[in-house]
Amino acid sequence: MSADVILVIVVVTALAFDFTNGFHDTANVVATSISTGAARPQVAIGMASLLNFVGAFISISVAATVANDVVNADVITPTIVFAGLIGAIAWNLITWSFGLPSSSSHALIGGVVGSAVAAAGFDAVLADGLVGKVLIPAVIAPVLAFLAAGMGIGIVYRVVGRQRPGIVSRGFKFGQIISGGLLALAHGTNDAQKTMGVITLALIANGSLGANADPPLWVIVSAAAAIALGTYSGGWRIIRTTGTRIIKMDAAQGFSSQGAGAAVILASTHFGFPLSTTHVINGGVMGAGAGKRLSAVRWGVAGNIVTAWLLTLPAAAAIGALAYGLTRIFGTGALGPVLVSLMSVSLIVAVFARRAQRGAPVPASSG
Amino acid sequence: MIATLVESRALLETVVASVVASVGVTFAFSVAIWGVGRFADLSRNDKPLAAAAAAAVASVALACVAAALVAGIIVMTSK
Repeated sequence: MSADVILVIVVVTALAFDFTNGFHDTANVVATSISTGAARPQVAIGMASLLNFVGAFISISVAATVANDVVNADVITPTIVFAGLIGAIAWNLITWSFGLPSSSSHALIGGVVGSAVAAAGFDAVLADGLVGKVLIPAVIAPVLAFLAAGMGIGIVYRVVGRQRPGIVSRGFKFGQIISGGLLALAHGTNDAQKTMGVITLALIANGSLGANADPPLWVIVSAAAAIALGTYSGGWRIIRTTGTRIIKMDAAQGFSSQGAGAAVILASTHFGFPLSTTHVINGGVMGAGAGKRLSAVRWGVAGNIVTAWLLTLPAAAAIGALAYGLTRIFGTGALGPVLVSLMSVSLIVAVFARRAQRGAPVPASSG
Repeated sequence: MIATLVESRALLETVVASVVASVGVTFAFSVAIWGVGRFADLSRNDKPLAAAAAAAVASVALACVAAALVAGIIVMTSK
């Protein structure tokens, strides 16, 4: 009975994380379309929300990686997964509160790794999987998006540089509807799968599924719906940071950065790498800026974002470990997760109240 | 060791696929916009043959973009 209560709390918490993931991350996906005027904010967010939902059904490779290749499922309990989720949600809220587009994906993996280490020591971590499927792709992906977007924008200016600006701008704004859609699809397929993977891990730990099982359909549908709803709910402050503060973009740069981001995320998803869409799209945005003119990139803001990236894994791991320790103070039953959940909800309400006191978030178009 | 080799190969394939798809589609789409722009200019200057050639280039480039998108989605969903 107690184990089932914990499992229900884990599933609800994972879906809440998925919602915050959509809320927090997808702003990055639509930022460039909004920044260049290719789409109105409501249209861009609505389209991203729908395509996030669809994208979640495309593949389960990333879910398999999260469920089987990062931590040792034999020593994982639902309480460890719960504490990892708390670490990820807490870090997401902290970075969201400061308007920094850090990675929800790395927060999730950091949180689960931190709570697993706190519970079962370093043997609980599958170092090969963590390094080969998470850490190395985490470094390569944004650099790859940076280079691909930089090369892309160089080619664009060579091919259409002598054309009339009106046609070029209209053409790339139209292209951004496609590239932005692809990016949203890519985000849905990579990010929703992380939640599917975590819920599947909890189901395996609870004995509800066999080892190496694929996510059940209800897990896929609920993860898709949660990220889509989160996306629709917005994230205006982060849109403003990514869309206008890093560089001032034209439509060709938006197209190039979104195309590079979508290509990197989709190719990585195919091989089961749980990437950060935030890292990739920001890498693409910076690459498209640097490809036009190095000084066009506001490197100070970009530096703040990189700092948030570097902090995410260790910070979420530390909070995950702390959450596990806090949960275990109340024993191994359901009381710990219930109390920590209540504390987390209080924290979330406090963060939102603080934001409400500061005033309404500012949309990208006014920034 | 074997796992590392597999990841290295997958990573390399990811890098190649990402760059080829991203740069290739961007190039093709740029050519399509160039073709549309040339078509408009040449039509305005009463050069129908050249305008038709520019339109054909734009059409082929757009077809390449569409084919790349469809191929990408097929690869993603076929695993």
